[in-house]
Parts: sequence; structure tokens; C-alpha cells
Amino acid sequence: MKKSMIYLDKENNKNSIDLLEVIRQIYGEEGSETYGVAINHQCLEAIGYVDNLIQITDDKIFDKDGMVITDILEELQQKYNFDCILIPATNFGRMLAPRLAMRLHVGLVADVTAIHLKDELLEMVRPAFSGKIMAGIVKQGKGPTMMSVRENVFSYDPILPKETQKITYVPKHLRKSQLKLIDKREKVQSYDIRDSEVLISGGGGTIKNFEKLEALASQLNGQVSASRKIIDKGIATRSIQVGQSGRTVNPKLYIALGINGAIQHVEGLKNVEHIISVNTNKNAPICSLSDLVVEGDAFEFIDKLLAKIKNNDFRR
Amino acid sequence: MKILCMVKIVPDVDKFKYDFDTNTVVRENVRMILNPDDASSVGVALKIKHLYPGTTVEVVSMAPESVRPLIYDLVRVGVDRVNLITDKLFSGSDSYATSKVLAKYVQTLSYDIILTGTHAIDGDTSHVPAQLGELLDMSQMSNVIHIDEELLDTTKAVFTVDFDSEVATYEMQLPGILSLRKESGYKLPYIKYEDMNKDVTDSIHVITNNDLGFEPFEIGLKGSKTKVNKTFVKEYEKRDKVVVTNDDQGINTVYAFLQEKGFI
Repeated sequence: MKKSMIYLDKENNKNSIDLLEVIRQIYGEEGSETYGVAINHQCLEAIGYVDNLIQITDDKIFDKDGMVITDILEELQQKYNFDCILIPATNFGRMLAPRLAMRLHVGLVADVTAIHLKDELLEMVRPAFSGKIMAGIVKQGKGPTMMSVRENVFSYDPILPKETQKITYVPKHLRKSQLKLIDKREKVQSYDIRDSEVLISGGGGTIKNFEKLEALASQLNGQVSASRKIIDKGIATRSIQVGQSGRTVNPKLYIALGINGAIQHVEGLKNVEHIISVNTNKNAPICSLSDLVVEGDAFEFIDKLLAKIKNNDFRR
Repeated sequence: MKILCMVKIVPDVDKFKYDFDTNTVVRENVRMILNPDDASSVGVALKIKHLYPGTTVEVVSMAPESVRPLIYDLVRVGVDRVNLITDKLFSGSDSYATSKVLAKYVQTLSYDIILTGTHAIDGDTSHVPAQLGELLDMSQMSNVIHIDEELLDTTKAVFTVDFDSEVATYEMQLPGILSLRKESGYKLPYIKYEDMNKDVTDSIHVITNNDLGFEPFEIGLKGSKTKVNKTFVKEYEKRDKVVVTNDDQGINTVYAFLQEKGFI
């Protein structure tokens, strides 16, 4: 039986566990024994999902240091000899994965969004050229299959809960970190657009008065998100950016206001049920993907739709 | 202080046009540019040089000879020397093979800190900075959005990193690698008018495999651990695309749609 390991990133437990879906797609439901590795967090959410939960806890481990974590994962690789190593493509995961791949002398595919398996050939699919082209990558040479996997793309539902075995591991060798944390502050963001059911999203056509989107969002019990243009202008923080360089979202309703819909943006829309786009150009790329296209100004649309909703509420 | 900047010349992929109706990418006539994150690394290096006279800024880039005009401009804005690693044997290298080539050359140089970009807009794997760190056995940090110039010396750097849910300030013992993001706001200066056509060939140093001595199986396609099996343009699910305008009828259509789907 194959053995697969997932690095459980403490910044995104749920998404890390969802990488079990990648393992299922490669080896089948029962084809691989699964190991989750949690460093300096318990990750009890993984119980019932992975076959083995390896917990490593030591205050001396500086868990944002790619060198230190690479040492630990290398020890685990020597002990268990995994066939497949998966790392969620968080900011930290994208530093850790390449270092570990070089240490193990194996190829690495970054930011995988799909698995293609044909005649035993495993093709790892990833976006290239800022998401404009997809590339199917195969590994060459010996050693485990390694990839970093884009967040929020795969989701996993076990057929039956697993009987998870907890393993406490103590690293044999701990390197002294060359890094020292001086200060940190949590980002203030009251919501996570990945959890939103309704997103009111603004692009270049909303630069002049981006705050106005909030009124429509709150009326529809949704949240505000944005395209890269808004982030690059410094109008909103990257945490609400949809797209290849931002987040992948899957709301039930996505209202795209003044968004052109470059492929790098569309790449961030996964299984969105309904798309309404408002654009002065009805031939903007996003319009081809929409159920409903409103040809016109985004702010005028917000005003008129809000007035209509208010009016109808009043009549009721 | 000696600063080494690793840069990549990339196609300006934002200029690629995508046609959703025919599912094709139009990539003709797209010019080459200095990768935006890498431009920030050179930008901050030149800022430090300006603050601390005596600082040298050296650039290393692996690229075909055709990028020469772009690297000339780096010298024209104040870079002391550009090392262009170029050899047909290196073409087709994946990030693994590329990192090996870069590391072997960097090991011959003297420096206090290495600056790179975080992402390249063409490949966008972010592998090379971390793999360079591994091969040189030094720390590397991506997503750097600020370097504290006041606290920088040849033994340590203090800098700010943008993680997914937090912003953190670290101190790193040098030598080490800091990878910047263009959101840092560090920019390349403009070329002064009188330097527009300055002859800079003396500051360009070309390195080939004759200097590095790799066996052909170690580099290029053969030395790579991954291979692009195919590229394709993703098919997007097209929808009904009912087109209305902002008039009463249009707003009524949107309202009815939202009501029918249960959003109002």
C-alpha cells in the first residue's frame, strides 16, 4: 500500500485536510495510507479523516522557518518513505515545499489545481502565465511525488470516518533558527470571502467609489470582494482579492461590478452557482460566463437595484 | 555592504489577451519586462546603496542573450554589475535545474545579502528563491513587504512579511535571502536623461557553462525533475448571458432573478 503525507498548515487546517481528495484522486479510496503532520498545533479536526496524525510539539521549533520544518519533514520521510507529499499552497507552504523538494532531490509542482490520471501517468495541472494557460506537469526521476496544492480547490468527504492513530514524534535534531520574530499582528478582516455565499465584487469600474459596494452587500446578506485592479490601487486588502493571485471562492451568487474578467480573475471562481455581471462593455470576458449581464454603470446599478429592493419591501 | 539581486526577465503576461469565445490565448507581440517583484528587489537595493555609500549592487540573471537591452538599463539606473548566465545547454531547465545553476555561480561571489522577488509572473512557482536558500544553506523568506534600512548591516536584516493571516516582523542573520513583493512599493528609479544611451558593456559579465562546468545530463530538460507534458487553455462553462441595461426593465429582470433564486 502507498503512503501519503499531508503537511497540516495551522493557518488553514480545513483546507489541509481537504488535500485528502488529491490522494483519493491519485490512488483511489483505499489505495494509500494517509499521514497528517501537525507541528506545534494539535489539528484534532483531522481525526476521523487521516489514518495517522503525527503531532510534533516543541516550543523551540520556530514553525515559520522553512529550514527548521524541512529538517523535520526530511526525518519523517526517512522514517516512513512516503510515496506522495502534499503541502497546501499557503504563503508558508510555498516556501517550505521547494526547500523540501530540493532536500529530497525530487521535482515539485506548484499550486496544483487538478489531477489528471491517464494510463497510470500522473499529470499535475497548474496554471501558468498568471493563470492564462494551464500546464499538465509530470514528474521525472525517482523519489516521492511532491506538490503544493492551491487552497480551496479540492474538498474531501470520507465515505466512512477513519480510525485515526495519533503518533507523537520527537525530532532527533533541531537546528537553531537564523530567524527571530520581533513583532506580529493579526490582520483585521471581519470575514473570509472563501466562506461567503453572496459576494459583491468590484473591479476597475468601481475604483471611484468602491465603498459603495458595501450597501448592496449588506442588503443581500453578502460580503464585498475585489479584483486585482482594486488591490493594486491600494483600495482594499489582498485578503478580499478573488483570482489567481488572490483567493478561490465558491459563493452561490457572484455579482461582478465593473470587472473585466481577465482569466486570472475567473480562475478564482470555482463552482459559483450564479453570476451577474454589470459592465459598460457587454462583451467583456466575464459576461460570457454570466447568467445575466447588465450593460451599464456599476454605481447606477447599485442605486437602482437598492431602490427597487427598498420599494418592494415597503409595498409588502 | 554587498547586495546580490537575482532577477528574471519575463513576458509581460498581463498583455496576453484571452478570447473566451474561442478559448485561445493571444500571446503575439508581447514584450519582455523585468519581473515586477524582482524590480522591487533591485529598487530597494539601490535605495540602500543611496543611503549607505560604499554599498555595491550586483545582479545575477539566467536568460538568453536577447535580454541584453533590458539588463543594460539596470546598469543605467545604478546597478554596479550584471552577471548574465546564458547557455543553450541551460534552456528548458525547470526550477530544480535552474536553482542548481544559479547556486553554483552564486557560490563563487562574495555578498552579504541576496534579494529576489517572491513570484515570477510567467512560471509563478516561487520555487527558485527557496531552493537557492536550500542549496546555499541559508534562510529565505518570501512575501517581504518592507526592509528596515536603518537596522540593516552585514550581520542582520530586519524586515516585514505578509503571511496569509498576519503581518510579522523578523530579524534574520545574514547572509540570507529576502524575497520581495511588488506591494512593498520599492521601485526602480528612472534612467537619467544623460544616461539613456550610456555604454555599459564593461559592467556586463557573461557566464556560460564553460565557466560552470555542468555535465549535460545535470541541466536543461535532462537535468529537470519535472516536465511540461502539455499545455492547454481551460474551457469555461458558458452561461445564458441574458443582456439587459440599467433601465427599469433591466433592474426588474435582475430583481426577479434574485427573487427566484432566493437571494431576496
